[in-house]
Order: sequence, then C-alpha cells, then structure tokens
Amino acid sequence: MLQHDEGHELEVLRYRKRPRIVHAILASSFLLLLLSGLVILWPALSGIAAGGFTRWLHRVAAIGFMSVPFVYWIADREGAKELMVDSFKYDRDDWRWLKRIWSYLFGHAANMPKQGRLNAGQKLHHAAVMLLSASIVITGLAMWFFMPSLGATGQAWAAVIHDISMLALTLLLIGHLYFTFVYKAISGMTTGYVHEVDARLEHAKWVEELEEEAAVEADSESTPTPAI
Amino acid sequence: MEYAFLLDLGRCIGCQACVASCKVGNELGEGQQYIELIEKTNGEFPNLTGGWDNHRCFHCADAACVTVCPTGALFKEDGLTRLERDVCSGCSYCTEACPYDIPVMYEGKSSKCDGCAATVSAGGSPWCVGTCPSAALEYGPREVIQAEAHKRAEAMRDRYPNAHVYGETQAGGLGLLVVMPDDPELLDIPIDPKTPFMADAWQKVVQPAAVGITLGTAVLAGAAAVISRRNHEQEMVVIEAEGLVRDSEKSEEG
Repeated sequence: MLQHDEGHELEVLRYRKRPRIVHAILASSFLLLLLSGLVILWPALSGIAAGGFTRWLHRVAAIGFMSVPFVYWIADREGAKELMVDSFKYDRDDWRWLKRIWSYLFGHAANMPKQGRLNAGQKLHHAAVMLLSASIVITGLAMWFFMPSLGATGQAWAAVIHDISMLALTLLLIGHLYFTFVYKAISGMTTGYVHEVDARLEHAKWVEELEEEAAVEADSESTPTPAI
Repeated sequence: MEYAFLLDLGRCIGCQACVASCKVGNELGEGQQYIELIEKTNGEFPNLTGGWDNHRCFHCADAACVTVCPTGALFKEDGLTRLERDVCSGCSYCTEACPYDIPVMYEGKSSKCDGCAATVSAGGSPWCVGTCPSAALEYGPREVIQAEAHKRAEAMRDRYPNAHVYGETQAGGLGLLVVMPDDPELLDIPIDPKTPFMADAWQKVVQPAAVGITLGTAVLAGAAAVISRRNHEQEMVVIEAEGLVRDSEKSEEG
C-alpha cells in the first residue's frame, strides 16, 4: 500500500518543492534567453535589440541559466545526483519502451513496458538537455568574453553552434510541452503531486519502489527495535 | 543610383586633411575617427617605395558587416555602406567579420564611415572629398567615378607600370574605387578580401532554417497534441472502468 499525504489521498508526490523551484528557474531563464535571442535571429524583430537592452537581458538570463546546476546541487544534492545518473542509465525495459515510442507519442501508454521514476524518453530528454546546455554555455561564454580572439571564422562557428544547440533545445521544449499536455502532467510541477492512476500507468516500477519503501517503513514501525 | 568614392593613391600626399575634416565635420568624439592614414615603406635603401594606406571603409557591395549585423544598423544604400548608430546593439559582430578590419567599437557601438549620408543628402559633398587639396578624393555616380579611375590609372602607367583600378571585383565591387599605383599588398590591402564562409552560412541558412523548423514543429506538435490527448483520454476511460491490465500481463496470465 502506498502512503498518502494529507489532502492528497488519490495522489503521489512526484516532485518536492526544491526541484520544482530549480525547474522554475531553468524554465524562466530559458524562455527569457529564447525570446531575447530570437530578436537577434529574426530580422523583423531586430529593432528591439538596438541599444543593447536585449543583450543585457540575454546576459542576465544566461547567469540564471548557468546557475541552475549549482542551485540544484545546493538545494537538492540527492535529487541532482539521481537525475544525472538516471538520465544516462538505460535498462532493458527502457530500450523496449523506446522501440515502441510511437505508441506513447500518440497517447497510448497502457501497453508500454513498465518504467521507473523517469521513462526512457524523459531520460533521453534530460541527457540531451544537459549536453546541449553545455554546448550552448561554452559557445555563449566564448562570444561573451573572447570575441576578439575568436576571429571572424571562429565567431561565426561559435554562433552557428550556439544557434543549432538552441534550435535543438527549443525542439525538445516543444516535445516537453507536448507530452505534458497529452498526459495532463502539469500538476507534477505546480503542486508536485500526480494522480496515482497516472503514476501507476506511466511509472509502474517507480510506484512499486515507493510501495516497497512504505512497507519497509511500516514494518520497522510495528516491530520494536531489539535491544542489544 | 549607385554612388562611389574615388581614392587616387598616386595623388595622396598624406596631409591628413581628410582625417581632420572628417572628424570635425562629422562631429566625431574623442579618439573616434573614420579615416586613418598609415605610412608604408617598402624595399631596401636606396630602392625605397612608399605610400599611404588609407584605412577607411571600402563600402563593399557584398558587405560582410551588413551580412552579420543583427539589427540592421549597418545597411546598403546608394552603393554605400551606411551605419545608423542609434540602431546598433553593440554586438561587435561587424568588427570581427570585416575583411578590411574597418568597423571599431566606440562607446559600446559600432563606428565607421557612413559616406557622409547626412551631408550628402543635404546637397553637400563628403567632408574628406571637399577638403582634399590634391584631388586624390572624388565622389559621384559610380559609373563616372569608375571611368575617371581608369583614366587616372592609365595616365600614371608610364611611372607606375602596375597601376590599376582596385575595387571593381573585390567583395562584389567596392564603393571606394582606388587608383592603385602598385600591388595593394604593399599597403597591406588584401587583393581578394573574403567574407568568412560560416558568417554567410550562419545568417543566410542556419538562422532562417532554425526559425522555419521551430515554427513547423510547433504547428505539427500542436495538431498532433489534440489527437494524442484524445487518444489518452479514451485510454483512461477504459482503465478507470476495467483497471489497468497490460498486454504483457494478459499474455502471462493466459
């Protein structure tokens, strides 16, 4: 049996407050970076960039974006470690899940292989976000601080890699929002809780782990600690 | 109509009058200048040759600075490369991209010759042209300037056998045609200035493609999301009525 928090009798806690705050910093800084970067990219909007306001905004947002791994590490070390490790570790169910990703893509979750706390798609998403963020931060810092020594060709390369990384991240964001919408998953990041039915459907192995933990806890509470 | 400058390096005496009048006429700030004259000496004594490298905007037709400028502060007009400093965001892409190393950052914004846009549109001639005491500088319709340049190059060929007109083919054709007495590289002026390939690819391919792909994906995902959400809702109705039974579990039981 799962233990339920008060007021959340049909729900499971998926994200605690701290990871939710980290997510909010990441999301808001990313959107600011996307919008303030877009004015440079899209000639029709480029007038807004004149005078340097969006450059200032882009750099402020960049500091927020780059702070995310550090804030995560300080706020929730265990969670950060778990996310890092989980995102790069794939078991047999994950590979089977990925083979059937089309089914999940179109809203059919019931016949997908059982998944842990993160499904294989989320793992790939997080891994890609980490790698692409590294690429965008490196090229961004290069253009911010080392412009003169990059030379014309170096600067163009940095800009091209920066743009392509951002393109990939934006496509991942579209996918991220897509699955959130299709599977009505927004509550995981607003209240932190998701419906137990949904959790069992999409993250069966994770719920089983939670049940085992709850059973162990209940066990240790009922049996008195033996005196040594 | 396309306009152009004529710079006759056979006549330039390095007097710096153009530098001074440009600075005063355009009310440039302290340390800011659009023209710099750099004396070049080549060869070994007693066979020395020399000249003045006029370090100033060449007004390329295919201007790398215009290609990379994200805000449109740099743009082409009447065959010349204009700069509207009010619109500059100070990204400094132009200072890196220019094959002649012309634009510089001044007080956080790009700074370069704009062909005296304001003075010319008011009916005057560019400050440098108006002041040059040796007629080394002229300004006018490009065709007229081009013909004059060829005439002058031809006329000096007795003394300078390599004399030619520089700027007819470079970077798509320059808005500053130079009567060049000898090899331009003797004055550190590149024979074939190039826009970095990646800069072109970046602005003309990568950026528009990125916008297109993003918008296309967003539209596609939006449409698919409506269908998929409905699929999932139907799936949930079944699960809530019958409980969750996976196909894999069914076959295990069977």
